[in-house]
Amino acid sequence: MIERESAADIEAQAVRWVVRADQGELTLAERTELDAWLTGDPRRQGAHARAEAAWLMLDRAKALGGAPAERSLSERGRMGRRRLLAGLGVAAAACAAIVIAPRLLSARYGTALGEIRRVPLSDGSMAAINTDTVLDVTMRPRLRQVKLDKGEAWFQVAKDPQRPFVVESGPVRVRAVGTAFSVRRREGGCDVLVTEGVVEAWSQDVGGAPRRVGAGERIFVSDEVGPANPAVAPIDITRNLAWREGQIVLDGEAFATAAAEFNRYNARKIVIADDSMADEKLVGWFRTNEPESFARAAASSFGGKVTVRGDVILVEAGE
Amino acid sequence: MQDGRGRIVAWLGREILPHEADVRAWLRRSLAAAGDADDVIQETYCRLANLASIDHIENPRAYFFQAARSVALEQIRRARVVRIETVTQIDALNVELDEPSPERIAGGRRELARVQRLIAALPERCRRIFEMRKIEGLPQREIARRMGVTEHVVENESVRGLRAILAALAEGETNQDAVPRRSSSHDRTRKRR
Repeated sequence: MIERESAADIEAQAVRWVVRADQGELTLAERTELDAWLTGDPRRQGAHARAEAAWLMLDRAKALGGAPAERSLSERGRMGRRRLLAGLGVAAAACAAIVIAPRLLSARYGTALGEIRRVPLSDGSMAAINTDTVLDVTMRPRLRQVKLDKGEAWFQVAKDPQRPFVVESGPVRVRAVGTAFSVRRREGGCDVLVTEGVVEAWSQDVGGAPRRVGAGERIFVSDEVGPANPAVAPIDITRNLAWREGQIVLDGEAFATAAAEFNRYNARKIVIADDSMADEKLVGWFRTNEPESFARAAASSFGGKVTVRGDVILVEAGE
Repeated sequence: MQDGRGRIVAWLGREILPHEADVRAWLRRSLAAAGDADDVIQETYCRLANLASIDHIENPRAYFFQAARSVALEQIRRARVVRIETVTQIDALNVELDEPSPERIAGGRRELARVQRLIAALPERCRRIFEMRKIEGLPQREIARRMGVTEHVVENESVRGLRAILAALAEGETNQDAVPRRSSSHDRTRKRR
């Protein structure tokens, strides 16, 4: 194999470019050369950004020499405001407001393809966010509101009877007080899996009472029809939530279904060339980010073969 | 676009670089022979620099750890030496994340002191150049004129200085006096495969 450029060599080059750019605008030829260099290896882009960041960070040193004006100005500004507040006799209240205000603001959490994040929410709840998901969390005085535009998330909800925790996904609503459950957005509705306590689920577009779903139960809530009957499936649920540990656990899923599951997490997609294999049932434990080893394991178990071309992991029937 | 990049580079300097030494230490501990921490760090910076938005990142330290973790896992996967203990080590990351970093609490004044220390630790000629460039704000050409050297010399010294500063950041300059440093993963010119 070709000798791989060392990280140290890359860094030396990257630093040279940063210093060069500091001498004045790069010429068009230099710019082109730099771009060509950068596209050669993502490590170069990283080293370049890192060197630029360090170089720029050193500008903080300006505060040691010239331009002290900025700092004293802002300090004076702060003092002025402080005095004003004290004069009104609301300094304490204002301080309290400053502390609490950010908690009312909403926060957005997004995950990229293949990314799985755990985030603590400001009310003490916890969210595990699966691949390719967008979550908007707003903490209001009487409501903890979570919008799930796409993707999947599991919530461990801190108990607070005064402030229900409601997940909104399209017209679907899932309400909990203190419990743990997951919501996955699908075409036309949501899958809800409950691991602890009880939730209530409904669709806003449909009348009728919310459906209660208990621990160990799962339910599909259709946007247009509302909740189906809950199914009891505790082992299923644990398996279906294995993504929280970056795993996919298969127990009799069809190959096509399992492949689609891997494809949620990876830019490299598994493509099944022959329908004859699509229904093969599989059992196994895999990491979400290892579609290729999954495809190979699956193919070898029913005599298929795997070819990888670019972003496609093609599985074909053997002879 | 250029503006967006400027913002991200500034963010990297302010919120990410201060944690690099910790991320490196963690990588060295968990990767063992499975990968090269220097490579992982560079690729991680690449990912961070290419982020479409940084507004959603509430805890840059944790984000940095997570990004490095995912790059490391990707690398292990590519190398196909998936050793269970390596993966487990990498999965043990959560423990590390919640430790509040001293940098986080400290804020601006400490950052300033750190920059000052970094520059002060440079070799004599380098240090003078960085002081003129970064404290007094003189352009490289003017620095060359004042020192009576060619611009090329200033360029070379600047390269040397910035590399020294990057190395100090990689080692965690705050512990520099306390911990005897060696292992200088930095000067290593290791070729893989």
